[in-house]
Order: sequence, then structure tokens, then C-alpha cells
Amino acid sequence: MNLQTSVIIRDYLRPAMLPTTWCPGCGLGIIMSSIAQAIHYQGLRKDDVAMISGIGCTGRMSGYMDFNSIHTTHGRAPAFATGLKMARPDMHVFVIMGDGDAMSIGGNHLLSAMRRNIDVTAIVVNNSIYGLTGGQTSPTTPRDSKTATARHRTFERAMELEVLARAAGAPFFARATVNHTASLTKLVERAMQISGFALIEVISNCHVLYGRMNDTPEAATMIARMDVQTWRSTPALQKRAERAVRMTAAGATPVEPEDVDGFEGMSSDQRKDRGVIIENRGSVGFSRRYHSLLEELGNDRRSGGE
Amino acid sequence: MSGIQRGVFAIRIDRNYCKACGLCTAWCPQGVIVEDADLYPVTPGIANCINCKLCERHCPDFAIEVLPPEHPDHPIHASAG
Repeated sequence: MNLQTSVIIRDYLRPAMLPTTWCPGCGLGIIMSSIAQAIHYQGLRKDDVAMISGIGCTGRMSGYMDFNSIHTTHGRAPAFATGLKMARPDMHVFVIMGDGDAMSIGGNHLLSAMRRNIDVTAIVVNNSIYGLTGGQTSPTTPRDSKTATARHRTFERAMELEVLARAAGAPFFARATVNHTASLTKLVERAMQISGFALIEVISNCHVLYGRMNDTPEAATMIARMDVQTWRSTPALQKRAERAVRMTAAGATPVEPEDVDGFEGMSSDQRKDRGVIIENRGSVGFSRRYHSLLEELGNDRRSGGE
Repeated sequence: MSGIQRGVFAIRIDRNYCKACGLCTAWCPQGVIVEDADLYPVTPGIANCINCKLCERHCPDFAIEVLPPEHPDHPIHASAG
């Protein structure tokens, strides 16, 4: 894992667009670097890769990376990706979305794309807030945190992308953070090998809008804290992931584990798993099924006509 | 054999791309990179660099790069030529 930065800039970015317009210390640049490395190690040609982004801070990534790129409307990146994958099944399609983009505004599109099992690699960057528009509460904002639109702390529960992916039947779901860069690159590489909708949630930082109101105004402290907020999932957890979804009732009291100390006041139960959480290697993506069906229909029609 | 090498690596920082976010100084395990008066990273302790590349991998703006001695842009080649 030692691809030089100058090689990434020369081969996979558009140097005329740099430096990025993102805030100093934003994790999106780290994710961009990881995607470039993953594509490099998988040996794909730049012309065979398409990157589709929605609106938001993440939306700019398609402009900075030197692939075939579409900057689409808010939340509709999976819909555009579906069309592109149908027209060009040979192309490897990346969809990059933010948390508000993917889960609230484009929630329906994400859900439909997962249910249809479109062959794309989707990366959802979760920074807990609507970053571009000024720090409004997003579906993934943790409970009891201050935002620009919730000065007296939010009271909604944060939404779990993992549960959504399981409910919609995505064949691959992984969670990475911008702190663990090597693991992020490996997870992107692994997601690229899946036929079907491979979803990666990348926990990123918005220290400028979210962290400043929630005691982590520094990018370094906010990224370093991800190390205690997540933990690497083990094979035992992998087994747990294969079980059916267990929904917790809204009014149920959470069971507090006994060993609460050691994680900066958060119980070990609140930590999120990191790594591959769902992996269904036998999945067959929609476009492959669709084109084989077309072939069958064509054969039938030809034999019927004769 | 493949022990930790020190003193052979160089670090190149591109001031046009750097935004002085402080991630490289926070992650450097050997104290090689420190902040100057404008909070930009400088490398006074370059002799301690062990090529872990934590700064390079955590730089969101592609501004910092660890150069191995065989890299053509490494300063030892400049002095020789």
C-alpha cells in the first residue's frame, strides 16, 4: 500500500481543479485517495470507470477525479447509475453520495437500487450532518447533539444504514472510517469485486460544522476519536450479521452492559462495527441478469420466426 | 534485514495544495513534522522519518509526499546532478 501521492494526482485526479474547495482537514480527500488507490490496485483503466455523484460536499468528488463523471441532481445518483449501467454494462460504476443525499433526499432511489441489485459500487460518506448547506440536522445526526437547526440538541434517533441495507437486501455492506485508511482502501477493493449493489458507509468528519458545536473543533481529534467509536468486526459478528433483522421497539429501555469504562464514557454497546458486515458472494447483479434475459428473448424470437 | 531505516527518506510538502489542517502533524509518530508560525507543516526532524506514510495517507489535499531514496525527486539526486 504505497502509491505515491504524485502518482495519484498525475493519473487519477484533475490537477487543474486542485486544491479542493473542501474545508481544511475534511475526510473527503482521504476517501478520494483511497478510491484512486483501489482502482489502481484492481488494475482498471480510467476509461472503464464512471463516477456518479449527487449534490453536496461529496458531489464535487466527481469533478476532481479524472474518470467518466456525472454530477447529478440531489439524491438521484443511483437512478443515473442505473441508466448508465444498463447502457454500458462493461463500465464499472461508482456512486458517491453524502448521508443526507443518500438517506433522506435520495432515500427512495437508494432503496430501489438496492432492491434491484444494480451493479454499482456505492460509497455513502457519513459525516452526521448536511455539510454544504450550513450544518442542518441530517438523518444520521446522533441523538443529543447540537446542530445549526437543533440548538437545543436533536431528539430524533440516528438512522442506521446497515439496517437499511439488510432490509433492502444489498449483497455487500461494509463500514469504514477515514481514520483507518488502509482498511478503507481494502474495503473499496473488496466491494468492487461484488456483482450487485455493494454499499460502503464511510464515517467521515465535519469538524467545522458538527464538531465545533459538539466539543471536537479540531479535525485531528475528531478523526482520532473514530478509533474508539468503531471497532473491527470479528467472525463472531459476521455470524450475527447473517441472522434476521431484529428491530428494537421505540420505547424499549436499552440494556446497559457492565463494562462501561474505557471508551470515553460510551458503552461498548454504542460502538459501531467496522469492516465487512454483509457479504453475499453468490449475488448476481441486475444488469447481468437483464442482458442474459435479453439474449434469451432474442433467441426465442429468432427461433419463433423461423 | 528489513529493520526500520532512518535518515534516508525525504518529505515534500506542496504549499499550493496544503491547507494547514494539522492532520500530518497529529499523526506523525516520530515527531518529524511540526507546525510553523503559520500552522503549515515543516520537517525539522526529517532524519527520524521511518517511511510509515501516515502523513501521506491522511493528507486530504494531496499536499505531502514521502520520497524514498530511489525516487527521482529525492534531494540526493539533485545534489549528485
